[in-house]
Amino acid sequence: MTSESTLFSNRWLPVLLVSPFMLLIVLFFYVPIFQAFYWSFFLEQPFGGGSMFVGFDNFARVLSDREFWQAGWRTIIFMVTASSLAVLIPLILAVAADRKIRLSLPARNVLVWPKGVAGASIGVVFAFVFNPFVGLLAPLNKAFPGIWAPGIDGTDAFITLIAAHVWSGIPFNFVILLAGLQSIPRTMHQAAAMDGAGPWRRIFDVQLPLIMPQLFLTLVLEFTESITSAFALIDTITHGGPGGATTLLVYKIYKDGFSGYDLSGASTQTAILMVFVILLTAAQFVFLGRRINYER
Amino acid sequence: MIENARSLNIAASLILLIGMLYILGPLYLTLATASQSYEFLLRNGLAWYPGDQFLNNAVRIFTETRIPIQMLNSLAVAFSLAIATCILSFLSAYAIVYFRIRWAGVAFALILATIMLPVDIRVITTYQVASNVFSPVNALLDVSGLNGLIAQVFGAPVQLELSVLNTHFGLIAPLAAHGTGTFLFRQFFRTLPGDLFKAARMDGAGPVRFMFDILLPLSRTSFAALFVLTFLSGWTQYLWPLVASSTPDMQTAVVGLARLLPDSDGEVPDFPMIMAGAVIVSLVPLLMIALLQRYLVQGLVLSEK
Repeated sequence: MTSESTLFSNRWLPVLLVSPFMLLIVLFFYVPIFQAFYWSFFLEQPFGGGSMFVGFDNFARVLSDREFWQAGWRTIIFMVTASSLAVLIPLILAVAADRKIRLSLPARNVLVWPKGVAGASIGVVFAFVFNPFVGLLAPLNKAFPGIWAPGIDGTDAFITLIAAHVWSGIPFNFVILLAGLQSIPRTMHQAAAMDGAGPWRRIFDVQLPLIMPQLFLTLVLEFTESITSAFALIDTITHGGPGGATTLLVYKIYKDGFSGYDLSGASTQTAILMVFVILLTAAQFVFLGRRINYER
Repeated sequence: MIENARSLNIAASLILLIGMLYILGPLYLTLATASQSYEFLLRNGLAWYPGDQFLNNAVRIFTETRIPIQMLNSLAVAFSLAIATCILSFLSAYAIVYFRIRWAGVAFALILATIMLPVDIRVITTYQVASNVFSPVNALLDVSGLNGLIAQVFGAPVQLELSVLNTHFGLIAPLAAHGTGTFLFRQFFRTLPGDLFKAARMDGAGPVRFMFDILLPLSRTSFAALFVLTFLSGWTQYLWPLVASSTPDMQTAVVGLARLLPDSDGEVPDFPMIMAGAVIVSLVPLLMIALLQRYLVQGLVLSEK
C-alpha cells in the first residue's frame, strides 16, 4: 500500500493521464445517460425534426401502456428465475469441483468454455437444439403432438431463453465461486471436522457462510447481466414471441426506438429501466451487503 | 482429505459430469449437425453423430455469406478494444493510485459507475451520440448563449457534425467506456509494496520513468488477463455492433451469424450451414480460451476483488 507521503505530487500529469479515458466515458456513458433522462421530458421527432417540452407526458404515456407493464413484469420474472438459477447451478458445480476428485480438473477447464461463445451464437445454437420440428425434443413431439412448441407456447419459449442464459452464465459465476471456496483455509475444514461436522454438514456450515461475499457479488452482477444479456438471446431465439411472451424491456426498448422510431418513448423506458437497475443495485448493497461478514 | 467421504465424492463426480454434459452437449450437437447435409437434417432431424459434410458447409459459409469479412471486423474490433482498454485503464489507474490528487476518489467513482449500466441499457441514446459525437458541444454552445453571439458576428451558429456510426471507431468506443479495467489495475497496484515506490524515488525515478520501468513490467500478468477478458467480450458483443453498423460489410461475425437465421417461422432453415457458421465464428475465442485459460480465470477473479 502506498501512504500519503509516498505519492507523486505533479499537478497536471495525472490530469493528462486520466483525461483520454474520462473523455470517452463522459461522451459515451454520461452524455447518453443524461440524454435519456432529458429526452424523457421532451417529445422528440425522429431525424432531427425538432423537440417540444412536454413535462411528464411521456411518463404518463409509458406508464399507462399495458405492454410496458407486461414487458416490465416479464423482465422481473426472467431476472429472478434466470439469475437465481445462473448462480445456484454454478454454486453446486463449484462445491463439487472444489473436492479433490478426478473429474475436478477437466470440469474446471470445460466449464469456462461458454465464455468464448457469444450470447447470439449460443442463441442460434439453442434455436436449433430446441427447434420443435428437428431439434432435441422433436421425437417427444412426434409421440405427444404439441407438447413442446416454443413457437406457440410462451412458457416453452421462456424456458429455452433461461436454459441458454444459464449456459452462458456458468463460466464467470463458477470461477468466482470456486476461487472463493479455494481461499477457505484448510484449517477451517479441519477444525469443523474435529468438532464432529461431517462433510455434508461442512458444506452448509463452513463453506457456504464463508463464500457469502462471492455469492453476493455474483448475484448483484447477475441481476444486471440477466436484464441486458437477454437481448442477444431473444433476438436470435424467439424474436420476442410468441405473441410477445418473451418481449423483455430491453427488447421492447430496442423495437420502439429502432423499428418504431418512438425516441421519446424509448428514452423514457430507458430512464425508468436505469432507475430500476440503480435502485436494485443500491437495495442489494443496503439489505444484503450489510449482513455479510467479510472477516475471515 | 480429512476423512473418507465416498458418498459425497460420488455425488460430486455425478454433478460435474452432468455439468460438463450441459456445456458440451449443445457444442457437440452443433458440430455434429454442421457436418451433415441439409437433406440429412430434413430426413432425420437432429444429428447424433458427425457426418462428412463439414467442409462442404464451411465452404458455403466462406463463399455464400459475408462471414469471412465480418470475422475480420470482429478481429479488428476485439483486438483494438482490448488494446485500448488496457492502455486507458492502466493510465487512469496509475494516476488515481500514485498521485497526490484531491479528485482521485471522485474520478474513480465516476469510472466505476460505468459498470452498473452496460451499453445494452443505454443503447438508444448512445446511438444518438454516436450519430453526431459533437452533439454535446453543440448543445453546450446553444445553452451557454455562445452560439447566439457567434450567429450575430459570423451570420450563422456553429453546428459541428461527425458521425462515427458504421466505422470501426464507433463500434469500439462505447464498449471501451467501461470501468472494469481501471478497477482491475487499481486493485493490482494496491497489492504492490509501498517500499517499491520509495526505493524507486530514492534512485531518482520520476513519474514517467517509474511507470515505464517498474510498473509496466510488473503488470504483465494483469495486462494479459485484462486483454483476454476484453478481447472475448469484444468478440461476443451483439446489440451495439448490431445497431452501430448499417452495412453487412461493417457488421461483426456474431451479428452476421444471427442474420443467417430466417426471421419468420416457415420451412426448416438450413441448420447444417448455420451451425457450421456458429462453429467458425466461435473458433477464435474458443481457441483463445484453450490457450490462455490461465489468464482468463485470473482476469475473472481479479475483476471481482
